[in-house]
Amino acid sequence: MANVLTVEHLTKKFAGLTAVNDLSFTMKERTIHSLIGPNGSGKSTTINMCTGSLPITSGTVKYRDEIISGRVLHEVASRNIGRTFQNLKLFGSMTVEENLMVGMQAQMKDGILKFLVSPASAKAEEKRANERAMEVLDYIGMYKYRNETVANLAYGQQKLTELGRSIMTAPKLLFLDEPAAGLNPSERVEFVKILLKVFDDGIDLFLIEHNMDVVMNISNYITVINFGSKIAEGTPKEIQNNDEVIAAYLGSQFKKK
Amino acid sequence: MSDKYKKILMVLIPLMIAIAMPLIVTDNYFRGIFIMTLIYIIVVLGLNFITGLTGQMNLGTAGIFAMGSYTTALLSTKLGISPWLTIIGSIIMGLIIGVGLGYPSLRVQGVYLALTTIGFGEIVRILISNFKFTNGIMGIRDIPAFTIGSFSFDDKLARYYLYLVFVVIMGVVAYRITNSKWGRLFKAIRDNYEAVQAVGVDIAKPKVLAFTLAAIYGCVAGSLYAVHMEFITPSVYTFDLSTTFIVMMMLGGIGSVPGCILGAVVCTILPELLRDFGNWYWIIFSILVLLVILFRPNGIISFLKTRKKSVKEGVK
Ligand SMILES: Nc1ncnc2c1ncn2[C@@H]1O[C@H](COP(=O)(O)OP(=O)(O)OP(=O)(O)O)[C@@H](O)[C@H]1O
Ligand SMILES: [Mg+2]
Repeated sequence: MANVLTVEHLTKKFAGLTAVNDLSFTMKERTIHSLIGPNGSGKSTTINMCTGSLPITSGTVKYRDEIISGRVLHEVASRNIGRTFQNLKLFGSMTVEENLMVGMQAQMKDGILKFLVSPASAKAEEKRANERAMEVLDYIGMYKYRNETVANLAYGQQKLTELGRSIMTAPKLLFLDEPAAGLNPSERVEFVKILLKVFDDGIDLFLIEHNMDVVMNISNYITVINFGSKIAEGTPKEIQNNDEVIAAYLGSQFKKK
Repeated sequence: MSDKYKKILMVLIPLMIAIAMPLIVTDNYFRGIFIMTLIYIIVVLGLNFITGLTGQMNLGTAGIFAMGSYTTALLSTKLGISPWLTIIGSIIMGLIIGVGLGYPSLRVQGVYLALTTIGFGEIVRILISNFKFTNGIMGIRDIPAFTIGSFSFDDKLARYYLYLVFVVIMGVVAYRITNSKWGRLFKAIRDNYEAVQAVGVDIAKPKVLAFTLAAIYGCVAGSLYAVHMEFITPSVYTFDLSTTFIVMMMLGGIGSVPGCILGAVVCTILPELLRDFGNWYWIIFSILVLLVILFRPNGIISFLKTRKKSVKEGVK
């Protein structure tokens, strides 16, 4: 299997603080790859660098055969790389449906002049996007909330909306920063189901997650970092039995014989 | 009442009022005020793209307005170009301002952007006050009226209806853009620009588009103003005027096309009605504005929309 993501010697320095330190790992095609580690260990910073949300101090990030480090967020995103954010980033004043429709924007190519002279073509484009939005709304179980203003929704529904919006961009690789955080157990189960469905539909997932049930159940491969450096990588089973990971992060309750 | 029916009434009733107004109020002074209202509606509709929808503060609208006025004034008086054609010149001027100023202003945000736009407005005012070819503070006289064949729109009533046609066309275009993928994108940028980038959109383009639309509307309105006044001087295009446009938009309903129209109408006509209060009128007007902005952040247009919301809540 080819590598979807190749990270080499990735480093991020914030004034005086090295948040990510010479981190290298690869993510294989058709895997759910998780990045775990204690609070403040540099997980979000890693995703932020991979997706172009944050400039890189040094190192390279490759998506398939293309070096994407040095590109900014929208350039990375336009390569079919989607993401969600640890602190939700939504269009709060807009409805769920509108939030998803914005996800389709980059695929709606009609220019403004065409729009002004040809209402029919604009309508057709909008209709196609809207049909797709309805599909995705159904897919994430948010259809009945489609006309609600996002700012008024419960946290779990907002998270689903953000996921739905990223699905609208037709990604091939999706970075998810703590998708299950803040969800109650039943919401979490639902969310994981949706994630697995997303994965089955051909979207590779790169996941940051603190909930170890989720991580250990759905990941194919795990990279563990502490203080910005990699301390282990392997299958969930290997990670659960890695003494350094247990000491730094997991504690002993996850150890499996 | 079905939504579509309601929408049609929402357009027809104000339009009929607009058509009837100068026939009911035949006083020439007030007809002049009505014409000014139409001109300001166009400016505010434009401002709404960049500030109302996209959330980028623009306090330099008077500068844009001035560029439109002077484009028409100079082209028509110095080169003898028909006022109609100067409107096209004004649109091109709007494009130049939108792109020429839009791109550099991408680098700044928030307060810095506000200051940059104030700077733009002031620079325009100072330049037109000092250039020889703009005739400095003396301004430009004898700007010709719009004509069709031998018919001239120099009578206030005819001019009012001509300008109403401009408002209707530009209002429809504004409404369509606001309710299209662009309007949605503008709002998305206002709400969370990083999320917009995360879905693969370079926000530079829509921001420049919004700025350019604002500039085109502002310039065309400036042209109409120049033709209406027949005589323009730099002293009109002040920072005060720029903030007045902001107040119109906020009072009427930021982000909403009907709101902007309402705001421009109220802010132009109300001070005239309050004139009897003498010096107090400005204070009364300011307090009214403040109350609305504090308690009705979506403007007075939101009074018309409450019914719909409460019905929806009832269903829930
Ligand atoms: N923009 C920033 N400026 C300065 N320091 C930052 C910035 N962003 C993150 N940091 C610091 O970098 C370190 C890594 O942060 P990061 O958000 O990547 O951690 P994390 O592993 O995602 O943690 P959590 O599990 O709490 O989300 C932390 O010490 C954090 O305070
Ligand atoms: Mg984090």
